[in-house]
Amino acid sequence: MSSSVRRVRALAAVLVAGALLAGCSTFSEEGRDQYERSRGAQPGAVDGGDSGGSAKPEPPYDVRPLLEPEKKYLGVAADGAPARMGAVEDFAGRAGKKPNLVEFYSAWGDRYEQALVRNSWDYGALAFIAWEPFGTSMKDIASGKEDAYIREYAQSVRELNLPVALSFAHEMNGFWYPWGTERTSAADFTAAYQHIHDLFGEEGATQVIWVWSPNVTHPMPKVKLEPYWPGDDYVDWVGVVGYYADTGPSTYQSLYGPTMAQIRGFTRKPLIIAETAAQAGERKPAAIRSLFRGTAERDDVIGFVWFNFDKETDWRIESGPLSEKTFKQEAADPRFGFDVTKP
Amino acid sequence: MNDRGTPTRADGPETHDEYGHGYGYGYGQQYGREDQPYHGHGHGQGQVTETGGWRFDAHDLTSSYTDQQAYETYAPFDPYASYTEPRPRPGPEQAPAAVAPEPAKPGYTLPPVQESAWSVDGGRSRLLGRWVLLCVLLIQAGLSLRLRGTAFQDEALYIAAGHHEIGNILNGTPVPGDFEGYFSGYPKLYPVLAAMVDSVAGLAGVRVVSLLLMLGATALLYATTRRMFNVRAALGAAALFSVIQSTVFLGNFATFDAPAVFLLALSFWIVVRTGRSHIAAVVLAAPPAFLAFGTKYAAGLYLPTLVVLAVLTAYRHRGVLALVRGVLLGGAMLLMLGVAYVFAGSLGGISQTTTDRAKGADTAMTILRHSSEWGGLMFLAALGGSIAYVVRPHMGEMPWVDRQGPGRFRRISLGVVLTGTALLAPAYQIHLQTEISLFKHVGFGLLFAGPMAGLGMSRLVGPHFRHPQLGIMLYVLTLVFGMVQSQQAYSFPDSREMTAILRTMVDREGSYLAEEHEVPAYYLRDKTDYGQWQSTFGMDYQDRKGRQHSGPDAYRAAVEDAKFDVIVLRGTVTPEVDQAVADALRGNPHYRLAAVSRFTTSKGDGAFRIWVKR
Repeated sequence: MSSSVRRVRALAAVLVAGALLAGCSTFSEEGRDQYERSRGAQPGAVDGGDSGGSAKPEPPYDVRPLLEPEKKYLGVAADGAPARMGAVEDFAGRAGKKPNLVEFYSAWGDRYEQALVRNSWDYGALAFIAWEPFGTSMKDIASGKEDAYIREYAQSVRELNLPVALSFAHEMNGFWYPWGTERTSAADFTAAYQHIHDLFGEEGATQVIWVWSPNVTHPMPKVKLEPYWPGDDYVDWVGVVGYYADTGPSTYQSLYGPTMAQIRGFTRKPLIIAETAAQAGERKPAAIRSLFRGTAERDDVIGFVWFNFDKETDWRIESGPLSEKTFKQEAADPRFGFDVTKP
Repeated sequence: MNDRGTPTRADGPETHDEYGHGYGYGYGQQYGREDQPYHGHGHGQGQVTETGGWRFDAHDLTSSYTDQQAYETYAPFDPYASYTEPRPRPGPEQAPAAVAPEPAKPGYTLPPVQESAWSVDGGRSRLLGRWVLLCVLLIQAGLSLRLRGTAFQDEALYIAAGHHEIGNILNGTPVPGDFEGYFSGYPKLYPVLAAMVDSVAGLAGVRVVSLLLMLGATALLYATTRRMFNVRAALGAAALFSVIQSTVFLGNFATFDAPAVFLLALSFWIVVRTGRSHIAAVVLAAPPAFLAFGTKYAAGLYLPTLVVLAVLTAYRHRGVLALVRGVLLGGAMLLMLGVAYVFAGSLGGISQTTTDRAKGADTAMTILRHSSEWGGLMFLAALGGSIAYVVRPHMGEMPWVDRQGPGRFRRISLGVVLTGTALLAPAYQIHLQTEISLFKHVGFGLLFAGPMAGLGMSRLVGPHFRHPQLGIMLYVLTLVFGMVQSQQAYSFPDSREMTAILRTMVDREGSYLAEEHEVPAYYLRDKTDYGQWQSTFGMDYQDRKGRQHSGPDAYRAAVEDAKFDVIVLRGTVTPEVDQAVADALRGNPHYRLAAVSRFTTSKGDGAFRIWVKR
């Protein structure tokens, strides 16, 4: 009997040894990670709960219907908005129509203002952020030095899951901003733009409407736009910035025409007047009329954003009674304004 | 059944009456005053002990009864004991009952009994065995159902293919794509079943069918092992087989594997079950074996094992007749395969998925290491069982039991064939240098190693349950490995979000390129047609200028031409094509990244990237 006991023991020892040998990778650290991941938990997570279960996020917002809507955007940038919607509501009251696009500015280093975007969406307007890369350089952005910030921003966009128009480094063809022609080359600009776009793609922040926003060309006619063009796959809207001033071009054609013609030389992307207004004065009512009619006539221009500030000069629609009246009359055009939440 | 001269210990319950009758007659004769037939168990009580007593007399085997030799093997009581006559009661009915004259020789003979362990299975132990088997099956079901996930690529493909095959069979509508050309089983078998179940109960239902099949395989392994050895070995076999990772995994996986394992188990059982019948009965094992091969071509690897087993388990026949039994089975299989070949034609799928699979880059060492992790414990148990079996056909628990069992040669052969079969799949895949699906295939071999593993486990526990802790330890270790490994393997990308996103983008007109296109095609089958989905496994394309492209280049050209309305890339299944598509998307004005749906599998994090036409 003792020999059979020995046999049993030997067999058991072999089995245990075999088990330990086999256990090497199944129960190794990597094996444990694999197990936890396959259970839907993050490796090393304490609770190990079933996070992969029912609490799945909703599908990302599909911005495509917003890209080329049948009707035009009536946009506004107003003091304090969209943190406080008072100025926008005041504008809507004066214009006789609710704006459906609210522009605001975001400095480099600011977090993505989820609350503001939601505010404006709840109001019934798409948020349009002019993202101004102060305090950095296009080279640094393109080389990846700012990736952590950009990714965080993108994750925040993804997390909020509301559409947002994002205009990075607008007026790049002007000389007045640090990212303008004086200090930045066109190649660096496009590289930075593309890099940001790619990072957003990697993070899955597909809710962004990418706006490429040059200034109208007449202040610096020698600067060609095409070198600054990041490419059709990087841009959704071409957002032209151009104001009706007391002097200079006073008609839609003379103000925007040359720029739009140049742009049409390299892309068919929809155009939007990303920033405009008219300086207070005699020409203002005519300028307002020109803006509305010019925009309405062109199928490839999907709207404009009125810069409703009293800054340097009074750009607001209420700067004079006739301006306000004209604006109200023109805004009554059914081609302007639509519900962005149900495009 | 009836052609057997006398029932044996390992017989099923249907033989019980016959069994009881024989004994009733025998004991009635033996003791003269028992007028109730004896029923196998429950002896040691009742009239016999009330009126009489047992005297232990090891060397005097009730020799006063001339016909006892035929029964002594089956004595349900201690055969060393001999009966002592009780004092006759006074009374008028003293006269012994009239006894029919015994024939000098019984008109039948009893074959030697296959008893390789030490216990003799009475009805009670069989009943107990079934209860334990039920527990084993419940644990197996629990382990399988514990796994959760959306459809794996292959599951989605087979179910979708099944729907088309049904249409093809009923209405003659052509199937999209050459399923015969790349499926690892015949597309008109399992996929049709899967699609029928899918129409009623969805993917969950199809997976439940797999579970039932795997439970059936475990139960059949139990029956087979009990037939070959005894209840304890059978329980060991079922217990070990039920918790290895492949069994647990396949029990919740709607592919060819579960039905193939079941059919192999059925064929195996028939081979063993007909071991004492007429040799021609073994032909019954051919249809399930053939079906197993048709269901999944890789099951063909185990058909030779079945043929050899037909020879080795021909218990009543030695020599040529046993060989004839094997030849009969092999011949029947070949005949069916031949007929099938004539009707089905050559199947490209066999070579592409099974025999001539694309060579991989997995080294023999890796494959061996992983195989030992997946099935090593059970294999070791089988090895131990085989060795123990060769050393000793029985354990000494009941030394009076007839020691006449299979000879050493047959024992060695049985051990080598059954245990060796477990090595077939790893060996073959080492030859192919690929580890694909091996974690499932090891389960096929371990099914055959099951009886030896069960025997090994029962020998480990020892006579009179001397070391139950060792058996429990082996079972628990195997269970822990199986539970963890099956969970690690059962980890597919969660496609719920991806399909929810695609649902808003697809219609009946579009053309969609998707890596693992089977999954969205399956989940969106109410909105799209299977033919609208293009896989990343390969295609030819003629571009707008009329140039012909193939391989990754075809995808590049097609994407540049904006041929697809939606593109879904995962980035890991077909890296070359993915790269080509990604290159074509760069600078491509036709597409816009619409969504990135992240997922986590055991291998790490990944994402479905979805592009749509602008």
